[in-house]
Amino acid sequence: MSDMLLSNLQTARWPKIKAPRAAGFVMLAGLAICVMIGPDLVGQDPAKQSLLSPQERPSAEHLLGTDHLGRDMAARLLSGAQLSLSLALLSVLTAGIPGTAIGVLSAWYGGWVDRGLGAFADAVLALPGLLLVLMLAAIAPGSWWALYAGISLTLWVEYYRYSRQRARIVLSSPAVEASRLLGLPVRLILLRHLVPEIGPGLMTVAAFGAATAVTAVAALGFVSVGVRPPTAEWGVMMTELLPYWREAPFLILQPVACLVITVLALHLCVGGLHKR
Amino acid sequence: MHLRSSAALVAAVFLSLSQAFADTKPVTIAAPWEVASYDVAVSGFAIQKLEILENLVDADENGVLEPGLATEWAASDDGLTWTFTLRKAVKFHDGTDFDAASAALALRRAWQQPGILEKAPITAIEAGDGTVIFSLSTPFAALPSLLAHATTIIPAPASFDTDGKPVALIGTGPFAVEKFTPPQSISVTRFEGYWGDAPEIETASYLAAGRAETRALLAESGDADIVFSLDPAGFSRLSAVDTVKTTAVPIPRVVTLKVNAAHPFLDDPRARQALSLAMNRKGIATAITRFPESVASQLFPPALNMWHNTSLSPLKHDVEAAKALLAELGWAAGEDGILVKDGDRFAVTLRTFPDRPELPLIAAALQDMWREIGIELTVDVNNYSMIPQGHQDGSLHLALYARNYGLTPDPVGTVLQDFGSAGGDWGAMGWDRPDVAEALARVAATDDEAARAADIALVTKAIQDELPLIPVVWYQHTVSVAQDLENVIIDPLQRSYGLSEMNWAK
Amino acid sequence: MTQTNPFIAALAQRGLQAVVVALIVGIVSFAMMQALPGDAAYRIAAGRYGYDMMDAASAELVRQELGLDRPFWAQLLQWLGALATFDLGQSAVYGTPVIDEIATQLGYSLLLAAGAVVVSVLIAVPMGIAAGLRPGGLVDRVSLGISILLRAIPAFALGVVLVLIFAVQLKLFPVAGFRGPQHLILPSLTLGLGLAAVSNRVVRDAVVEAMDAEWRLFARTKGLSARLTLVRHVLRNASLPVVTYVGVQMAYLIEGVVIVETVFAWPGIGHALVHAIFGRDIAMVQGTALALGLIYVALNLVIDLACRAIDPRTRAT
Repeated sequence: MSDMLLSNLQTARWPKIKAPRAAGFVMLAGLAICVMIGPDLVGQDPAKQSLLSPQERPSAEHLLGTDHLGRDMAARLLSGAQLSLSLALLSVLTAGIPGTAIGVLSAWYGGWVDRGLGAFADAVLALPGLLLVLMLAAIAPGSWWALYAGISLTLWVEYYRYSRQRARIVLSSPAVEASRLLGLPVRLILLRHLVPEIGPGLMTVAAFGAATAVTAVAALGFVSVGVRPPTAEWGVMMTELLPYWREAPFLILQPVACLVITVLALHLCVGGLHKR
Repeated sequence: MHLRSSAALVAAVFLSLSQAFADTKPVTIAAPWEVASYDVAVSGFAIQKLEILENLVDADENGVLEPGLATEWAASDDGLTWTFTLRKAVKFHDGTDFDAASAALALRRAWQQPGILEKAPITAIEAGDGTVIFSLSTPFAALPSLLAHATTIIPAPASFDTDGKPVALIGTGPFAVEKFTPPQSISVTRFEGYWGDAPEIETASYLAAGRAETRALLAESGDADIVFSLDPAGFSRLSAVDTVKTTAVPIPRVVTLKVNAAHPFLDDPRARQALSLAMNRKGIATAITRFPESVASQLFPPALNMWHNTSLSPLKHDVEAAKALLAELGWAAGEDGILVKDGDRFAVTLRTFPDRPELPLIAAALQDMWREIGIELTVDVNNYSMIPQGHQDGSLHLALYARNYGLTPDPVGTVLQDFGSAGGDWGAMGWDRPDVAEALARVAATDDEAARAADIALVTKAIQDELPLIPVVWYQHTVSVAQDLENVIIDPLQRSYGLSEMNWAK
Repeated sequence: MTQTNPFIAALAQRGLQAVVVALIVGIVSFAMMQALPGDAAYRIAAGRYGYDMMDAASAELVRQELGLDRPFWAQLLQWLGALATFDLGQSAVYGTPVIDEIATQLGYSLLLAAGAVVVSVLIAVPMGIAAGLRPGGLVDRVSLGISILLRAIPAFALGVVLVLIFAVQLKLFPVAGFRGPQHLILPSLTLGLGLAAVSNRVVRDAVVEAMDAEWRLFARTKGLSARLTLVRHVLRNASLPVVTYVGVQMAYLIEGVVIVETVFAWPGIGHALVHAIFGRDIAMVQGTALALGLIYVALNLVIDLACRAIDPRTRAT
C-alpha cells in the first residue's frame, strides 16, 4: 500500500506535462509578461482621455477600442493586469496559507486546540465579511492595502473549513494512524498522506479564489467603495463599463475575458494535480 | 394605512397584489430615490412627488405659485407678518379635518427640523382663525415659495405618536398610502375624500431602483410605466424603443465646482479663471452627460428665468489662455510637467461623491484636463457630507457636486445661503464680497421685479467674473413614459410625478 | 465519558457561542464605527436629508439630538444595556426602531438566499456528479468552462444579462421589485449561478476522490452493483465536503446579496447594511451585524448536525 502512495506522491512531484497543462503554463507566462511590461506594450497612456472619441470600436490606433472617456482599452487592461493579478495572488496567498494551516492544525491536534481555533474562527466569521471589507475600505479610502486585507479576511474561511474537514478524515484513516504509531516524522506524514488528499481540492478553491478577489473589487466598486480614478483595475473597469453594456458590450466583455483567461490558465496548470 | 409587521412578512411578500385590482390599470413609477422614513423632513421629496401629502402653496410646471392648501396669502405692509388663509372642507386620509391647528403644528415642526424654513428669518408660526400666521424678523418676500417645498408638506396630527415621533404618512393629497415597504416601495390608492378633482388613476405604486441600468430595463420591459432619472446610455437606448416615449427637461440643477478661494493657490480670481478655461465643457457634455447643448455658459441655467443673465459673456475653453494666466501668477512647469512656485507643487484634492454617477466621471475628466495645464488633481470620491465638513473646517480645496437652485420656485433662499456673507456649505468658500451679500439681502426682501433685476445682475456678474463656484454643465431631467399613458406632465421643479393628471389612452 | 445527547451538547455549545458572538459583534462593530474617519453627525445628517438639504447646521442638530458628543464608552454601555432587554435601539438615520427594519429586510434577504441555495444545489449537484463520474470527459470539461465563465462575470453583469434575456426579450419574469414569487426567480438565479459555478466543482472533486478511495474496490469485490456503490458509498462520502461548502456559501450569501439586492431593487439586509455603514447609523450596523452573526451561528449548528448525520467519523471528537 505504501508503494502505491509513494508512486502517487512521485506523480505529484514530477507530473507528466500534458497538453492542457502546457497550454496553461503558456497562458500564465503570457500574463506574467503582460504584467511586467505593462501599458508600455501598446505605447499608450492608460489615463489619457479623449472625450470626443469615446467608446470607439477596435482600430489600428486603439487595438481594443476606447472606453467611455476615450481612454485606450488595451493600455488600461494591461495596467489593470498589474493590480488585478497582484491582488489575486496576494489574496490567495494571504487567505490560503493561514486558512489551510489553521485547518490542518485543528485537525492534527483535535480536542481543545481544535475547539479553541474553531471558536476563534467562528467568532471572526460571525462578523459579516461585508462589514469588515467596507470598514477597512472606509478607514483608508482609496488604499489598496485595505482592500487586500478586507478581501483576504473574508476568503480565508473557505480554506480553513475545507482543509479541516478533509484533514480530519485523512488523519483518522488507518494508514495515517499506522504512520504515527511508527513514529514517522510529521513532515513526512503530511506530505505523504495529507497533501495528495487535500491538495487538488485546495487548488480548485484557490483558482476560483483568484477570480473571487477580482470580482470582489468589482462588487465593492458597485457600492461605490474602492479605488480612486484614474486607476485601472479589471474589477473596477467592470463596474465602470457596466452602464454602457447595451451600447458597447465589447467594452465590459474585455476585463471579463481577461479574468476568464487568468482563471482558465490557473485551472489548466493545477489540473495536472488532479487524480486522472 | 398598513404599518410594518414583522410577523406577516413572508406572507406579505407572496400575497401579491391580487387584492386591490380596480378598474383602471395601476401606474408603476420607478425612480432612484429611496423612501425609508415617516419623517417628512427626511423623505418629504418622495412623498410630495406621489401627491400623498400637500403644501400650503403649490406651483405649476413653470414655477408660478398657485393656491394649495392655502387659498390666498398676503404680507403686512412692513413685510414682517404673513397670513395664509387655509382652504376649508379639506379632510386628511384618516377622515379628520384639516384645520389651522394641524397646519401650524406641522409647519412649526418643519421649522424646528433641518429644512428649507431655516433659511427664512422666521420668529414664530401661529394658528389663527382659519389662517396660519408667520412672524418674521426682516422682510422675506420668498416665504410663500418656501411653503411649496417638500419639507413643508402637511402631515395629519395622527401621523405622530404621543412623543411627537412620525409613525405614519397621513396627508390630504389625492392619493393615500396603501402599503409602505421601506426603503423600496410605496403603493397608493385614490383618496375618495379629496378636496380637488378626482384623478383618473385609481392605484399606483412607486419602486425605488437605485441602479440606472435596472430602471432602463424596467422601462424597456414595460414593468414600469414612468421611469425617472435615466443614465445617458439608457436614455439613448430607450429613445429607440417604440413602447416608450423619452423626454429630457432642462432643470435648474447645475454641476458645479466649489473652490476654496482662501486657499493660497486659488485665492486669485485668475487662478480660478485658469481652472475654468482649462475645462473642456463641450467634451464633458458630449461624452459624459450627452446633452451637448447643456454646457454651462454661466452658473444659473435658462430655466431660472430672472437669474439667467443673458448679458454675461459665456465661459470659454482655452487651454493656452489658462496656461498664460497661471504663468502670470508665477507658476512654472517642473520636471514632471506639474507647475511649481516657491517650492510648492500645484497639487490639489477634489472631493466628490458617487450618489450621482456622472460626478466621479466628470471628476476624472477634470483630472485629465487639468494635467494638461500642469495641475495635479487627486480625486477623492467619498460621502457628500465631507464637502460641508471641509467647508467648516477649512480643509477643502475643491469640490464637485450638483446644486439644485430649483428647490423652491423662487431660488433666492438657496442663492442667499450659498453667496450670502461668509458663503455657504454648498456655495462660495473664502470669497469675500460684501456688496454681493447686501444685494442678495435686498433681493430677498422684495418681490418687486424691477427692483430685483439690478441686484440680480450685480450678483450674477460678480459670480461670473470671480468664479467662487465654477459651473460645469446644466442638468437635463430624463424621463421615459409608457406610450399609452397620456397627459404626463414632467415638472422641472420635480415636485410631482403628475399622477393626478395622467390617464391611460382610451 | 457520560452519555450526553450529542444533539443537546451541540445545541448548548452553539447557544453559548451565540452569546459570545452577540458581545463581540456589538463591541467590534461599535469600535470600528468609531475608528472610521469623518464626523458621524455629518454622515447621519447626509443619510437623512440628502445632498440638497444637508449642511453643517443640520449636522449640528443631529449631534445634539443623538448625543453624539458623549464619550464613546457611554454610548456603547447604553447599547449593551438596551440589548440585555432585547432592545436594539432606533435607527439614527430613519428614526424607526432597528428591530422593525431588520425584521422586514432580513426576511427578504433570507428568502433570496434560500432561493439562491436551492438554485445552486439543483444545478451543481447533478452537474458535479456527472462531471465527477467521468473526470476528464466532455461533461467535466464543459462544466469547468462554464464555471470559470460564470465566476469571472461579476454578479451585477450577470444580473442585467439575465434580465435582458428573461424579462425584456422573453417576458417570462418581472425585471425588479418584490411583489410576488415570480419576482424571486431572476435574483435567485443570478446568485445561484454564481454559487453553482464553484460548488459544482467541489461536488465533482468530492465524487472523484470518493470513487477513487480504496474501499470502493472492497465494495465492488463484495459484489455490490456499480449503482449501489455509487449511492451508498460514493455519494455519501462525497456529500460531506459539499455540505460543509454549502454552509460556507450560505454565510457569504446572506451578506453577499447586496449587489443582487441593489440590481433587483430588493429590500434586503445587505443593502441596508451598506447604507447603514455609509450613514454611520451605528444602531443599525450593530443590529444588522448581530442578526447576521446569530444566523451564522444557527447555520453552523445545522451544518454540524448534517455532518454528524452523514459521516459517523466526525462524531468521534
